[in-house]
This record gives sequence, C-alpha cells and structure tokens, in this order.
Amino acid sequence: MTDPQAALLMLGMFIFIILLGFPIAFTLMAMGVAFGYYAYFQPDQAFFDNRVFYLFTQNTFSVMNNDTLVAVPLFLFMGYVIERANILDRLFHSLQVALRVVPGSMAVAALITCALFATATGIVGAVVTLMGLLALPAMLKAGYDQRLSTGVICAGGTLGILIPPSIMLIVYGATSAVSVVKLYAAAILPGFLLAGLYMVYVVTRVAINPSLAPKLPKEQTDIPWTRVVVMLLQAFFPLAVLIVSVLGAILFGLATPTEAAAVGAMGGLALAAAYRALTWIRLREAVYLTARTSAMVCYLFVGSWTFSSVFSYLGGEALVKDFVLGLDLDTVTFLILSQVIIFLLGWPLEWSEIIIIFVPIFLPLLPHFGVDPMFFGILVAMNLQTSFLTPPMAMSAYYLKGVAPPFVQLWTIFRGCLPFLSMVFLTMVLMYVFPQIVTWLPDLFYGN
Amino acid sequence: MINRVLRGVDQLSKSVGHAFAWCILILTLGTSYEVFVRYVLNNPTSWAFDMSYMLYGALFIMAGAYTLSRNGHVRGDVIFRLWPPRVQGSIELVLYFLFFFPGVVSLMVAGWGYAADAYRIQEVSVNSPIGVPVWPLKMLIPVAGFLLTLQGVAEVMRCILCIRDGSWPQRLHDVEEIESALQHQQEDEARQRRGEPAEGAK
Amino acid sequence: GKKEEPAKSGAAPAAAPAVAVKPSTVTFKMQGAWGAKDIFNEMAEEYVKRVNEMAEGRLRIDYLTAGAVVKPFEVMDAVNKGVLDAGHHVPVYWYGKSKVASLFGSGPINGCDAQQTLAWIYRGGGFDLYNELLKKLELDVVGYFCMPMPTQPLGWFKKPVTSAADMVGLKYRTVGLAADLMQEMGLKVTQLPGGEIVPAMERGVIDAFEFNNPTSDMRFGAQDVAKNYMMGSFHQAMEFFEIIFNRKKHDALPKDLQAILRYGAEAASASNWWTAMDNYSRDLDELANVHKVNVIRTPKSIFEAQLKAWDVVSKRLSDEDPFFKKVVESQRAWSKRVARYWFINDADFKLGYEHIHGKLGF
Ligand code: NA
Ligand code: NA
Repeated sequence: MTDPQAALLMLGMFIFIILLGFPIAFTLMAMGVAFGYYAYFQPDQAFFDNRVFYLFTQNTFSVMNNDTLVAVPLFLFMGYVIERANILDRLFHSLQVALRVVPGSMAVAALITCALFATATGIVGAVVTLMGLLALPAMLKAGYDQRLSTGVICAGGTLGILIPPSIMLIVYGATSAVSVVKLYAAAILPGFLLAGLYMVYVVTRVAINPSLAPKLPKEQTDIPWTRVVVMLLQAFFPLAVLIVSVLGAILFGLATPTEAAAVGAMGGLALAAAYRALTWIRLREAVYLTARTSAMVCYLFVGSWTFSSVFSYLGGEALVKDFVLGLDLDTVTFLILSQVIIFLLGWPLEWSEIIIIFVPIFLPLLPHFGVDPMFFGILVAMNLQTSFLTPPMAMSAYYLKGVAPPFVQLWTIFRGCLPFLSMVFLTMVLMYVFPQIVTWLPDLFYGN
Repeated sequence: MINRVLRGVDQLSKSVGHAFAWCILILTLGTSYEVFVRYVLNNPTSWAFDMSYMLYGALFIMAGAYTLSRNGHVRGDVIFRLWPPRVQGSIELVLYFLFFFPGVVSLMVAGWGYAADAYRIQEVSVNSPIGVPVWPLKMLIPVAGFLLTLQGVAEVMRCILCIRDGSWPQRLHDVEEIESALQHQQEDEARQRRGEPAEGAK
Repeated sequence: GKKEEPAKSGAAPAAAPAVAVKPSTVTFKMQGAWGAKDIFNEMAEEYVKRVNEMAEGRLRIDYLTAGAVVKPFEVMDAVNKGVLDAGHHVPVYWYGKSKVASLFGSGPINGCDAQQTLAWIYRGGGFDLYNELLKKLELDVVGYFCMPMPTQPLGWFKKPVTSAADMVGLKYRTVGLAADLMQEMGLKVTQLPGGEIVPAMERGVIDAFEFNNPTSDMRFGAQDVAKNYMMGSFHQAMEFFEIIFNRKKHDALPKDLQAILRYGAEAASASNWWTAMDNYSRDLDELANVHKVNVIRTPKSIFEAQLKAWDVVSKRLSDEDPFFKKVVESQRAWSKRVARYWFINDADFKLGYEHIHGKLGF
C-alpha cells in the first residue's frame, strides 16, 4: 500500500466509523494516531518512540494556544447567561403586541424573537425549545396552521448560527485562517436577506390565505401604544443594543472578536442582573455549560488537526487535490458540487463536524478555482442552515418535537421546514449571482 | 463495587471540570479589563494576550473528561440511537478500546515528555516580551490525558453494566442544557398524566 | 588567519565507490512556516528545487506549506522530534525556548547588515555558537542559514512619524526581540494574530505594524489599511531563513547527499536574494504608483533612538544570561573588523545612483 492509498483508506474508514456513533473527537484522535503510527513506523524503534505521539501532542497544544478560538467560550458564556436571563417571554410578548397589525403577527413575532435570541445566544437548541413551550401553544391556540407555526420556530431559531456574532464563523475562521472580522462583515447581509425572505414568505402566505393565521381577538391586542413602547424598551431594545454594540465594536475595529465577546459576556451579566435573573445558581450553570460546550468544540479540533496532519503527511491532501483538478471542473460546477456534498453531509451531521472536519478538504482547492475563502465560508454557513432542518439529524425539528403538544407530528414539522429550506437555496443562488451581497460590507469596511 | 468506582471517577471528572470552568469568568473579567485600559487609558497590558489563550486552553482541555462523563462529546449517532441498549453497550465497549484509549493514553504519555521538555528549558511564550512560562499550560495535556483515560475506564464500566442490565445506568446529576432539561420535564409530566412514576435525569 | 568553514561535514564526499545497484529514493518531508500566498514559499521551493535536481533519484524533498502538519511556531519542535524531517522558517519563531535564538537573525545592531551577519555564522564562529545553543536546548537538529533578508521596514503607519517621540504610545504590532525593542522605545506593543492585523488596523485596535518586506506586505493587504510605509529600521535588520533537518535523518544520509543539503542552502541563498531584489523593488513601486502608498525613508533620529533602546535591551538580556552575552560579544568582535572594512572600502553607490537617475530626496 502506498502512502496516499493509506490516506484514502483513512478517510473512507472514518466516514464509515463516524456512523457507528462513537464520539467523533476521539475517533479522529485514535485514527490519526493509528495511521500516523503506520506513516512514521520504523522497525528499529521502541513503541512509544514513534513520532506520531509527539505530533498528536503538538496539535493538541496548537488548539490550546489558538488565539481565534479564545472567542468561542466567551461567546458561549454570553449566550448561556442571556439564555438564563428570563428575557424570552417578554421579548416574544412585546414583539407580538407591537406587530399586531401585520398579517400573521404571532408568526412574524416568533420569527423575530427566534432570530434575535438565537443571534444573541448562538444556541439553537435553547431558543427552539423555549419557543416550542412558549410561542407554539399560543399560536396553535389562536388557530395558526401547524406547519407554518413549527416551520417559523425551527427556521428562525437556526438563524443564530449564521447571523453574527456567530460561533460557527469563528470556527470557520480558525479552520480557514480567514479573518473572523471579515467573515462577520460578510455574513450580515446574507443573514438579514434570509431572515427578510422568511418574513416576506410568512406575511405573503398569510395575506393570500388568512385562514393559516387568524386574527387575534380584539381583547388580546387592545393595548395602548405607550404600553407597547414601554414593553419594547424593556425587552427588545436592551438585547438588540447588546448585539449591535458587540458587533459594532468588532466591525469598526474597536475590539478584536475575543475582546468584543468578553465585553458582550459582561453585558450579558449586566442584562441578567437588570432582569433580576443573575442568581448564583444560574451563573454556575452558565459557567459549567460553557466549559462542556467549549470542550466539545475544541476537542473536535484536537482530533481533526491530528487527523488532517497525518492525512496530509501521507499525501492525502495532494491526492484529493490532483483528483479534483483532474476532473477539469469549471468554477460553477466546483461550487455546486462542493455545496451539494456539504448539504448531504448536513443530513447526518451537525455544523461543527462539517466545518472542522470536512470543510478543510475543500479549502486547498479554492485558489485553483479562484474562489475567495471568505465567500466560500459564507456559502457554507448559509448551507449549514439546512443541517438543522433536514432529517435524519434535523436537530431543530427534534428539539421542537420534544416539547410540542403530542398531536403535532414530527412529519408535520419536517414539512413545515420545507419552504424555509427552499429559501435557503434561493439565498445561496442570489449570493452566487450577486456576490456583492457578501463582499459589499467587507469591502466597505476593509476594502480599498 | 463497580458502581462506587464509577461514581468516584464521575465525581472526580466533574469536580475538575467544574473547577476549571471558572476560568471563563477570569477570562471575561481579564479581557474586559484589557479593553478598558487600552481604549480608555490608552495603555494596553502586556499580559492580556497570553492570559487569554492560557485560560481558554486550560478551560477546555481540563473539561474534556467532565464532558465525556456527561456524554457531551458530539457523536454521529443516527444509527446508534436506533439500537437496543444491549447492542449499544456492546458496540461502544469495543469502540472504546479501538477508538478511545489509543488516543487518550498517548496524550497522557507523550504529553508528559512534551511538557517536561518545556519545563527543562523554562520555555516562555513568544507572544510578549514579558516572558510568560508556557510549561504550566503544556503540563495540563498529560493531566487531561490521565483524567480522560480514567473516565474512559468508567465509561467501559458503564457499557458492562448496560450489557448486564439491558439499560444504561444513570449518570450523576448535573446542570443540563435548557433544551434537555425542558424535554425531560415534559416527558416526566406526560408520564405523570399517564400515572407512571417520574424518571430522573438520564 | 584563514578560517575554514565550520567543521561539520569534515570529510568531503571524496571517493564514493561507483554505485552498482540503483539506490532507492529517500524522501524528506519539509514544512515551511509561511502562509500559502507568501513569497517565502517560493523561496523555500527554490531550495527544494536545487536539492531535488542535484540529488535526482536518490533524495527528494516534499515541501508542505504552513499548517499542513504543524503550525508555524511548532516547526522546530516537530523537526527535533522527527515529526517532520525538515523545516523552513526563522529562528525568532522558537525564541520562546531561548532569547539567544533571536540573535541568529533579529538582534542588537552592531554595524553589520544581514549579509555580513550571515558571514559571521559561516566564517566568524556563529555556527559553533548556534550549535552550542541547540545542544543546550537538546534540539537534535542540523541547521543551515540562507537568504540575508533586506532590512525590514519600520512598517505601516496611519500618519508618517518624523521622530522617535512621535512613536511613543503608538499601539504597534511586531514579534520577537523586536517587541522588546519597541516596548523599550515607549510603544505599546500589541500581539495580534496575522489574520486580524488588517481589520484591526482600520479603526484603531493598533496604530501601526510591521510585517516583513514590500512583497509579503502587499500580498497580505497592508496597503488597504495604511498609506504610510516607513522604510528602513533597526528592529529586524539582519534576518535570514533557517533550514533545519532532523539530525538522525540528516546523518543517516550518505556524505554526498548531506553535502547537497548543505551547499543547496548556499545556492538558494543567492537565488532567494535575487528573487527578493526583483520582487521587493517591483512591488514597492506598485505600492507607491498603483496603491498610492506614501513610501517614506525612516528619519535618522528614529534609528538613533532604536540604537539606544537596543543598548538597554541587550544589556538587560546579557545580564540575565551569560550565553546571550557571549553571542553578542562574538558578533561585536566580528563586526568591528568586518563592517569597518566594508565602510572604508564601499563605494558611494547612492551617489552613483543619483548621478544616473537624479536625486533621491532622502
Ligand atoms: Na440534518
Ligand atoms: Na518582521
């Protein structure tokens, strides 16, 4: 067996083993060590003298002193603190009242609540679950269509991984060496475009077919405007201001993403204190959950970097490159092909595994097709919206099903997600046809 | 006996994980302080950069075993979750020996040499002129490897118990993500409505 | 006295017996410390090409860019332990192990430029001191030096600086002993990951930064965030590449292949320098003419302030570490003779330039 063949075997075996359900980070480490042992094998060497053990340790340390990833636990912490700040119900309620004249006001309010809350916390599961308990029963009680109600919550809650400040983009930055700041600038318009399309879709459908979202009874919406303004001031604006200031500080270069995340976490603590939700127990919970989720993401990096070091040492990277270049694809075909592969990977896998493990296979190919890694990253981030919505691992749908009233079928939720999936694809096509959607803001801030 | 060892290891991983988790609070405060002195007083510190990645690195590496004890490392378990517990336990038992111990044991053994080298030459960070020593951070690698190995042994015991009893043993109680906490709550309420006893956190 | 070359591969590949059996190819994996777009990769490949052509069929170096196996700052450890067979980087990347490492490329100024400092390494005892340092740190590598880098610019500024006082309090990004130096001069040295320099510069996280040379700087996008490029500085005025090999791997090679690795570095040194002259000058013109960058000669008063700051830094480090002192003194003894010769003999080339092309204006 030649070395590059060993590398291919390694990749093939990994894809098979990943499906057995063992924790992926450790699978990657063990496979990296095993194949690396083969790559570095010297017959006259004692067992532990094999170089792969040292390589593994070096890669571990490289993850530990990676300055991009420092922002990950900080943003997670900010998210967990805000998540526990008792803000979601106020937020939803205030938006619902403020939007009462819009067709399908509850659905639009749910969408905005999901998007805003998910953006602030970056945690999809929490917002979908909480909204499933809070907004879904209210919508169903008001006679809203099941598919529309569930689709809005699943799709809206997933937006948080795309709209900055997003942890997914930090992880892509650490993987691709693209500046996180530029990625944030690049993701804003596509994120808003997608959210806007969702909203237009909901309003249009309800306008065409009002039976999907009956108007609320008068006594529920008859609240004076002054009261509405106070509600918004209390619930909507503090969170919006926090997000805007964290993002602004990064985009205007006032702070690095890490610094902005730290200040954002402080802001989250202040917000929680203002809502009288900052108890010792909640703080402790946020701290412990931050540690667990950080470990989950960063151990994946330890495994992946070890795996890919051995993969390229064996010549696997060069082999993949030669193979793809040998196909003689044009740029469009390459982009479509890569996005289809990522979409398919999103069925069984989640964004973290895809970005940390599979996206690096595409990255070395980008220069040959003249694709900007920043643009590619935003396409991937957009594409990975679908990974939460497509079975069999449709996490958003599962979270919602777990808390939804029993008569809401999983199948209904999947079908509710479908129109939103098609809007993700539409946005990707728009991004390809009008790349300015992605490049305009980064050029404006950091361009010539 | 097996249960006591299991609980002891779980408890150790949890305690270490909880202790290092507080790094996040120091990281938040320290970095915010740096932002303040840089922008308001125009006088950045020379230690903030090294501090930031050291706290972050310590935080995640030492939470590895704790996360494992909570079954918190991400899996591609589409197929896995369809199998009955006994099959899950048997497969997992084998996989622990194939895909877990080789990695974490080498982390422990090789990590020791790596950290000892740094200690011997008193290696400092290349990032700032003040010369922050890096060996304490490197020393956490073998420690994390050791804790992971220990936790791996506990997980193997869990597999054995699962094969014996036909169901996964309960894990220690700990903080849960909102989504899982709420879902468990829902399940319990549903059970109560059906008149079955509530089950604790899985 | 005539000093022979450092006596490592003493025995020449004298009488290699006629090879009857076709030997199999030995492959060395070399990784650079340079990002994919950096011109330094092309320079590393110039070395690789020379070795591969001379050792055709018997030794082949496979070159990998930064991060393929390990991160840039991990190259020394990786080669030491045999994770990589070879590496292409600069000693300042491992100065966390000992600040003395920085003296083999980015240290206190004594009158020698990079070319003459490289001569110190190969003819002035520097190589022995380098090997002494490797031994002290138990680094099991064989290292060669090549490509005396042109002086690295003071860097990119939002407003031109006219004196050392102008620089006090600036938030400045650099690396290695240069950080010690700039801190000593009253700048606020800030460490930033390479990818964040440009965006951070735009609105104030840093006020200025240095990288390496017009080509690398331009490819990196420096001209997008600052329009004043201060040329000339004493912070990194005599750097060169360090090409390292795992010693066991290196020593297991037949003597003639070892010689190819060694003399290949000498050959690449010249080739790299030619490549630098061609590219750096052309890209400096492009920066000025296309990107409208204000290219400014650093004023003499800043050089003077840097010398004073180097005095403080080098005294402090010499007091802390006798070996640091020993290396600095060896360099000083060398420069006293060599640089003096150079100055007394060197033609006034600037005069010649101005005679042909007109006044330079600095
Ligand atoms: Na999916
Ligand atoms: Na430099």
